[in-house]
Amino acid sequence: MAAAGKFEQALRAFARIVGAEHVTHAAEALYEYADAMAPRDPASYAPRGAVAPASVEEVQAIVRLAGEHGVPLWPISRGKNFGYGGSAPRIPDIITLDLIRMNRILEVNVEHGYALLEPGVGFDDLFEYLTANKIPLWMSAPAHTWGSVVGNALERGVGYTPYGEHASKICGLEVVTGTGELLRTGMGALAGSKTWQAFPYGFGPAWDTAFMQSNFGIVTKMGLWLMPEPENTVSLSMALEKAEELPAAIDALRPLKLDGTVQANPSFGNVIRTLATRATRSEYYQGTGPIPADVLEKARIKAGVGHWNFAVRLFGDRKINAINADKVKAAFRGKVSAEFQQSEWNRGEPLRNSGSPMPSLGALGVVDWLGGKGGHLTFSPVSPFSGAEAWKQYTLIRGMFEDAGFDYYGGFTAGQRYLNHITMILFDRSQPDMLERANKLFPQLISTAAKNGWGEYRTHVLWYDEVAGSYDYNHGAMRRWNEAVKDAVDPKGVIAPGKMGIWPKAYRKDRA
Amino acid sequence: MKLATGWLALLAAISGAAQAGSPVSGKDAFEARCSACHAESGWATRVLKRRLPGDQAVLARRTGLTGAFVKVVVRHGTGSMPQIRKAELDDGTLDAIARYLEGPK
Repeated sequence: MAAAGKFEQALRAFARIVGAEHVTHAAEALYEYADAMAPRDPASYAPRGAVAPASVEEVQAIVRLAGEHGVPLWPISRGKNFGYGGSAPRIPDIITLDLIRMNRILEVNVEHGYALLEPGVGFDDLFEYLTANKIPLWMSAPAHTWGSVVGNALERGVGYTPYGEHASKICGLEVVTGTGELLRTGMGALAGSKTWQAFPYGFGPAWDTAFMQSNFGIVTKMGLWLMPEPENTVSLSMALEKAEELPAAIDALRPLKLDGTVQANPSFGNVIRTLATRATRSEYYQGTGPIPADVLEKARIKAGVGHWNFAVRLFGDRKINAINADKVKAAFRGKVSAEFQQSEWNRGEPLRNSGSPMPSLGALGVVDWLGGKGGHLTFSPVSPFSGAEAWKQYTLIRGMFEDAGFDYYGGFTAGQRYLNHITMILFDRSQPDMLERANKLFPQLISTAAKNGWGEYRTHVLWYDEVAGSYDYNHGAMRRWNEAVKDAVDPKGVIAPGKMGIWPKAYRKDRA
Repeated sequence: MKLATGWLALLAAISGAAQAGSPVSGKDAFEARCSACHAESGWATRVLKRRLPGDQAVLARRTGLTGAFVKVVVRHGTGSMPQIRKAELDDGTLDAIARYLEGPK
C-alpha cells in the first residue's frame, strides 16, 4: 500500500502541473492504458496511473517531479502500437506519460520537403493536414493510420512508399532527458540552426538513432522528411498460387531493390493475411487447430487470391516508371507462373489506389479472425534478402505456429537489403487455452530464430528481455553498453525502465 | 511555417467545446471520432455485421443502444475494438456521442 501511496502522491503533484482533468488515477488506468490485444490478463501489466501534458515545459516538470517522488514514467505517443503492447508498460509500477495532447504539426516545409511534429500527431491528422492545405508532399504510413507518426518512426515502423523505412527519414529530434533537461539532436544543437531538418548528423556523435526503440529520453519534437508527390505511380500486383514460388519471387525482386529500380517496400502476404481481411476463420473452417492444407487451398481458390499476394509499386516520372515497369516484369518473367496485373495513377486523379496512404483502420479487422475477443501478438524476425533463407524461416515458423495450433499469418516486407518477416499469432482473448499456447509459443519463436541467426526488429513489451537477451554477441556486450549509457544519462531510472530490455540500475532486479 | 488547420482544428473545436460545457453536436462528434471504423463501410461495421442483424451493425442506425452502454464500450473496448481513453476522447465529447447514439433513429 505504501507503494500505491507513492504513485498517488506523484499523480497529485502532476495534477498541479497539467490540471486534475489530465491525470488518470489507478482505477481507470487499469483499463484505459492496458494492452488492448493482451495475450494475458491486461490488468497484470497496466500502469498505476497516467498524466497527459500539453507542452515540453510540462514534460520537463513531470520528469523532475517523477525523479523526486521515485516513480518511473512510461512515455507513449498515441498508444496504438497494437500487437507490440499498445499503450501498456513493461512494468505495472509506473505512471504512463501520455503525449497525445501534444498534437501540433509545428511546420510543414513544402520547398524542402519535411515536417516538424509533436508525438500526439496521428497519421490521419497529418494526411488531413497535407490534403486540406493542398501540400504536394506525401507521408508514408503503416497498415493502420490511428497511431502516432513520431511513435511509429521511433519504433522503426514500416510503410509502403519509397519513404517506407520511417526511421531513416527522421531528421532532428527534441528530447527531454531523464533529469528533465532539454536537448536537440543533429543541427538542432546549434541555437538558431537553419538546417535542423535538412542535415541529420550535426557535429560529433549523432544521437537520433539512440533515441529510437530506447529509454534514453522522451522525444517531444521530431523532424521527418516527406516525399514530393510523384507525377505517376504504377502498381504491378501478383498472386502466386503456390506457396513454393515465394523464393523465386524474392530472388527476382532483390536486384531491383538493390539497384533502386523498386524504391518502395513490396510486401508478400500469405493467404491467411488476405482471407482474414474478408471474413472470420469459421467461414472457411469450423474445426480446431490450423486450417488443413486442402481446406485452405479450396478457400484460396474460391476467394480468387494467391497463396502469396504482393504488389510492386513504382513512384516517379511517368516515362521512368514505364521503363522500370518493363524491367520489373522482365525480372519476374519465367521465374514464377503468374503474371502481373498493372494499373496506373496520375497526378490530379483521386488519391485512392495511388499508393499514397489513406486514413484507414481496416487492418485492425484481421484480429476478428477467430471471432470472440480478438487479440494478436506480432513476431517480427528479420530475414536475409534471399529466397532460400526466407523459405527456411517461413517453413520453420509456420511449422511452429501450426504445432501450437495456430494458423500461420504472415508476410515478408522488403527493405533495400533485408526482409521484415512480420507474423501475427491471432487469438481469441476469451479462450484461456489459446492464450496459454500463444504465451508458450512466443519465447520458443524467439529462441529458435536466434539459433538460426535471425533477430527481431521489434517486439511486444512482455518479451523485451527475451529478445534483448538473444542479441548476445560477446556475452551481451550491447546490452551492457546500453545499460551503461542508461545509468549515465538517467541515473534515477525515471524513463521507461525495461524498455527494449534496457534496465537502469535501480530496476535491474525486474529483468525477466 | 504552417500551423495545424482542418482535421486537427475540427477535433480541437469539438473537444474544446465539450470541455467548456457548451453544446456539442453528438452527430458531428460521432462522425469526426467514430466513423473511420463505424461508417457504413467501416471495418467495425463489417465486424458487427457478422454478429448482428441488418442495420443494427451500423451504429448510427442501431436502435436500443443506451448511453451508459456506449460509454462502457468506448472506455473498456469490446471484441476487437480497443478502448479509447479520456486523454484521447474527453468525457464531454463521449457524453455527446452517447446521447446521439441513444437517441431516436
